[in-house]
Amino acid sequence: MKPLSPDIDTLAQEVRHYLFRQAADTAAVPQAPEIATALGRREPEIRAALHQLAAGRALILAPNDGTIWSANPFCAVPSGFRVQASGRRYWAICAWDALGIAAALHSDATITAACGECSTPLTLDIRDGAVEGDRAVIHFAIPARHWWDNIGFT
Amino acid sequence: MLLFRDEEHVERWCATREMRCGALLSADQAWQLAKGWYGSKLRPDWRRHTLAEAESLFASIGLTGDFWKLRG
Repeated sequence: MKPLSPDIDTLAQEVRHYLFRQAADTAAVPQAPEIATALGRREPEIRAALHQLAAGRALILAPNDGTIWSANPFCAVPSGFRVQASGRRYWAICAWDALGIAAALHSDATITAACGECSTPLTLDIRDGAVEGDRAVIHFAIPARHWWDNIGFT
Repeated sequence: MLLFRDEEHVERWCATREMRCGALLSADQAWQLAKGWYGSKLRPDWRRHTLAEAESLFASIGLTGDFWKLRG
């Protein structure tokens, strides 16, 4: 076990590299215990680093228990926005992040989600760097400067 | 940010919630936005966009006006 690090910023960067790489490579967002084991750190240090990353808006923690809800664009739990890419199934918290998974992976992808109004299944395909598929539209309900006032609603 | 079949469905969704509609992006605009926002997320040297950089990205794909302002 490594000693307690006095430099939270350095540890936060190490945690960020690990968890985003894992999320991309496995389609599963690792949580604090797994990150601690992988990096040979104590769990409280990892939780502190995750709070640092959340404060910097690199990821979103669940409101009550402090687990990672979304390491944007990778959602840690199944959601209404499914992304099939690189032979894996990913989840996103919104339409923008669903497209963001394809962008982060630099990969072709198929995104499926229901119309927000009528629940009709919609599909967007990313092929060779361009978007194809249904003539769907994406609605941003909240002005940009207020996105983080309530990121769950945004 | 939700996906809708078309603009009419967005208007219906907003009316049901007694909300003013926000901004409507085509799938291609949202894809361009996603590429600019998340394209470097896995790089070791990733950092958040500054407010100016984010506004510049918005403007580059035609997202202008008060809705897309982050400063002031």
